[in-house]
Amino acid sequence: MDVAYYPGCSAHMMAREYDQSARLVCRQLDLNLQEIDDWNCCGASSAHSFDRLLAANLGARNLALAGQMNTGCVTSPCPCCFIALKTASLELKENEELRGVFEAGGTSSHEIKVTHLLQLLTEEVGLDSITSRVTHRLSGLKLAAYYGCLTRPARIVGFDDPEQPVSLDLLLEGLGAQTVTWSHKAECCGGALAQARTDIVLDLCGEILEAARQAGASAIVAACPLCQINLDTRQQAIQARNGTEFNLPVVYFTQLMGLAFGFSPRSLGFNRLLTDPSPILQTLK
Amino acid sequence: MSFQVGSIDRTFRDELEMACNVDLDQCWECGKCTGGCTTAHNMDYTPRKIIQLIRIGAVKTLMSCNTPWVCVSCRLCVDRCPAGIDIPRIMDYLREKSLAIKDHGPGVDDIILFHKLLLEEVYKRGRVSETALALKFNMQTGQYFKDAGLGQKLLRKGKISPFSSKVRDLNKVRSFFKQEPDRREV
Ligand code: SF4
Ligand code: SF4
Repeated sequence: MDVAYYPGCSAHMMAREYDQSARLVCRQLDLNLQEIDDWNCCGASSAHSFDRLLAANLGARNLALAGQMNTGCVTSPCPCCFIALKTASLELKENEELRGVFEAGGTSSHEIKVTHLLQLLTEEVGLDSITSRVTHRLSGLKLAAYYGCLTRPARIVGFDDPEQPVSLDLLLEGLGAQTVTWSHKAECCGGALAQARTDIVLDLCGEILEAARQAGASAIVAACPLCQINLDTRQQAIQARNGTEFNLPVVYFTQLMGLAFGFSPRSLGFNRLLTDPSPILQTLK
Repeated sequence: MSFQVGSIDRTFRDELEMACNVDLDQCWECGKCTGGCTTAHNMDYTPRKIIQLIRIGAVKTLMSCNTPWVCVSCRLCVDRCPAGIDIPRIMDYLREKSLAIKDHGPGVDDIILFHKLLLEEVYKRGRVSETALALKFNMQTGQYFKDAGLGQKLLRKGKISPFSSKVRDLNKVRSFFKQEPDRREV
């Protein structure tokens, strides 16, 4: 299956291991991720905060480029990019004028199906196909599946549950791991405030890490570059402030899929995580 | 914080309701939005109060409070609201409208600066380099050593790099901007 792929800026930078592992596991599942040529930034939380039309236009250009690829479907590993694309797609449906500027052949930009990578894998590919590729079951791993804001708002996302999502838990269980029941799976990490209001992000991430620790998880599993980066790279600062030692690796779900499919930790970019993931890698040996 | 109502300004509310496609008379004042709000405890006014401030036309307060800027767009409120009021969209609207105001005060000016710098990156390259953005932000705010230790670790891990890709059809991307982003306004 061919899918237009919108990596987003983080996947090209701080979340390269997400991109890298996503491409590996998708290939294994016969999903051909074709990166959209010349895609532009979705505008993150800044564009929609400053100028709604700017955000819509940035998304519309990406959708138009994806439409020209005739795959009928576009996917992004980043929830922020995904929401931005999906919002733009809805805006294009309502706003013919905006649509007119972008139509350039291929699938009409408002008709292309917009998915998050987790949605694509669990809904389109399906858990059965995924588990059938598992060669190294992740038995012994106790994981906290973390969704953050991925499934909100329900009206736009249209996938899983806004506050009690399960898709990632089911996927991880399909890989042979155990998942914990915990309070913070759909709480927000503070996202883009990490730079300007580090204090707020440290508070929020501290609570999430504490909840995962109390639930007995040995790692947190993320489906978002911002969540992974905040929870992983801010851990030491939170430790310094609260005195709690977490040492909780924060990994991308695609990295765990890759392990279960038999890829080496290095090829999946485990070496790029800040909080040492070797304890969980050793459990698997 | 106290606020002055003065004469009730319906215009602001009407325009907001139209732009955000909401009907604030539907608000039950139940507070579910605030109950779930990620950053309610950092806000001058919680989301429920913001709805009431709009209803009574407290424009000045709405324009100067920190609420829309510390809202992290987590979208919990809209999913919990029994009346389906699109609060995140209202927050976007309030941000856009209050941009012109100078001196939002400590804690908010930095957030605005961050957004401006990010959009400046989009204007310049079509894509954002997190490294360049963090460096610029720290320089502009005079925090030369903020997260410096973390930065070194990330560099060693190959997580950050000063290089980033660029969009070829930049003119198209730039045409979406009403004006060239100018951070000097901050
Ligand atoms: S949840 Fe909705 S109805 Fe309840 S106070 Fe908030 S905006 Fe009003
Ligand atoms: S979107 Fe903003 S106002 Fe709504 S719950 Fe999240 S932080 Fe609070």
